[in-house]
Amino acid sequence: MNKGREGRDARHGQGGRDSLREIRVMRRRLAGLAVLVCVGTGLQARPNAADDARQIVEEAQKRTTVSSERYEGLLQSFVASGKTSEKRWTVERLGSHGQSKEVIRFTAPAEVKGVALLVLNHPDRASDQWMWTPAIERDRRIALQDRSTRFFGTDFSFEDLEERDVNQYDYALLGEDAIDGAACWKIQSTPREAKSSQYTHSIIWVRKDNYVVAQVDSYVMTKAVRQVKYTNISNIQGIWTAREVTMTDLRRGSITRLALDKIEYNVPLAEANFTLQAIRRQ
Amino acid sequence: MRKAIGASALVLWSTVWIGTADAQSISQRGFVEGRGFLFPQTAPNDTTREIGDALFREEVFLKPAGWIQFAAGLDLRANSHDQVEDEWRIDFADRGVRRPRAAIRRLTATVTARGFTLDVGKQFIRWGRADILNPTDRFAPRDYLNVIDTDFLPVLGARSSVQIRNETFEAVWVPRLTPSRLPLFNQRWTAVPADAVGISIVDGGSDVPRGSQFGVRWNHSGGRFEGALSYFDGFNHLPDIGSRVLPSGAAIELTRTYPAIRTYGADLAVPTGLFTLKSEVAYFTSPSSTSEEYVLYVVEMERQTGEWLLDGGYAGDVVTKTGASFPFAPDRGVAKSIIGRASYTVDPRRTVAIEGAVRQNGDGFYVKGEFSEAWGQHWRMTATGVGISGDEGDFLGQYHRNSHASVALRFSF
Repeated sequence: MNKGREGRDARHGQGGRDSLREIRVMRRRLAGLAVLVCVGTGLQARPNAADDARQIVEEAQKRTTVSSERYEGLLQSFVASGKTSEKRWTVERLGSHGQSKEVIRFTAPAEVKGVALLVLNHPDRASDQWMWTPAIERDRRIALQDRSTRFFGTDFSFEDLEERDVNQYDYALLGEDAIDGAACWKIQSTPREAKSSQYTHSIIWVRKDNYVVAQVDSYVMTKAVRQVKYTNISNIQGIWTAREVTMTDLRRGSITRLALDKIEYNVPLAEANFTLQAIRRQ
Repeated sequence: MRKAIGASALVLWSTVWIGTADAQSISQRGFVEGRGFLFPQTAPNDTTREIGDALFREEVFLKPAGWIQFAAGLDLRANSHDQVEDEWRIDFADRGVRRPRAAIRRLTATVTARGFTLDVGKQFIRWGRADILNPTDRFAPRDYLNVIDTDFLPVLGARSSVQIRNETFEAVWVPRLTPSRLPLFNQRWTAVPADAVGISIVDGGSDVPRGSQFGVRWNHSGGRFEGALSYFDGFNHLPDIGSRVLPSGAAIELTRTYPAIRTYGADLAVPTGLFTLKSEVAYFTSPSSTSEEYVLYVVEMERQTGEWLLDGGYAGDVVTKTGASFPFAPDRGVAKSIIGRASYTVDPRRTVAIEGAVRQNGDGFYVKGEFSEAWGQHWRMTATGVGISGDEGDFLGQYHRNSHASVALRFSF
């Protein structure tokens, strides 16, 4: 229910008092489709937005393109047996989409404090990923064939932590649909040959009012295996941002909810912090 | 005048401190762990079957500015089987026969500038890429008070590295060797041959060389493979054991000496469609006429599938020059073996792991199973069972009386 209200608020905000100032900010800031841990956005639907699927995704990606991002995340995992676990991490990202670099560092619970993942995204191929484990003072490269496995007990796979780039996929517009009361374009994305992926295709719902990605269902052959939903959308520094990301592993029946806090865009981050050497520092 | 200078210094210090306060960050991590061991069998030189061990560890990381970071860590220990020194002092060298009661685990300043990093102080330096055995890991001595369950020891030194795109060049200088800590001569992990039972063993001490050690490493992290070449010039942190019969005739004195070595190493990781192939090799040479020269290598395959992480391979060695020394060499002790490890994540709180090694001639074998469960945000229980069997003459087999079980309870903060 809340999601619907948020959607209405978002539409209302754009149309009225949210202003030229906000639009100017938005034009300066690029936007985009950070499909998973990174944020869905949008400002307002252009009246003549083409129904072409690729253009829609391009527009969504453009609207989330930023020079950098930082946030603190609370991860809560729920398994079918009822057991839960809670972890916290900080995420820093430099650049956007196919060009970005990202460091995820766990801050809680105490036993995983310092564990870090470095993700170097590439526009033309799968990302490079390394995980640093301070307890054994070693880093480990996450091999391509390991990307489908779960990341550190969460329902996110290593691949899900990559940022997708519009050029890594082919798109087809499947129609229109509503997610939590908001009208959406329903788009199928299929990874291109160079993009190694565990998923054969994904269905993406992009909200018509603000180009925020509302939901992604990912398939292996004909079976949906993961579903991610973006909710609690608010405007942060002019970018419509999902503050809650819920990932469901449909095969296991487990759920990981990521709550984003202290989100900042376009913060000064040093390039040198996004290297293997840097993630070894605590 | 003095007061004025003092006041000025205070103001200056405060200004600098406040000026840098925004960039400061401080973090810590630590735990308290209690662990109990149960050995079903006694050993000829050790009749103790139950051992209790306690460890408190605290590490603090301070980043006063983006370009510099300090790290400090302290260990406090207690043990029911005399494996910890009796005296209360802060140990910095970590060269004692027994574990220090209080030890500086880490004390490091790290300076960074673009792709350049310099770490100075007491730190952990790890080389190599394989998981089972790391022949190139020459700056990483271990604590072998329990040969199957080892821990790394820090070293005092300077490590600099420069990263240029996919290439990293590293140089390490360590002013003095930190040797691995050996099993205590009067305890079960020093296996006494059957014909020596009844003869007392006297610790003749260690001759830790005073010279420095140096190493360089070039590492490539490409999209298709990762690889490194390394060179080390220093001393083996694993000793040669010297022995002599004392004049009384009823005791043998054992001494430890650490031969000078040079190693030429390489390691490689190649992800393929089905698994990641990892390999590591080092050629050990020594100016000492009594030390062996040899090649130590490991080839392994790693695959993560579902909740399973599987890793298995072969470790081998080839002697290129025989020697007359008697080394304590756990790394070579598991060579000529097939080694494997499998771990399974039951759920976000529970994991199960099993690892084992079997010598290719069947003379030695060990298997270790582990179950671990977390409770809440701070507690974790780990239960471990270790089975060892084999011939007295085999490195693994000589510990056939040391099969054991242990339970550890850890509170992390």
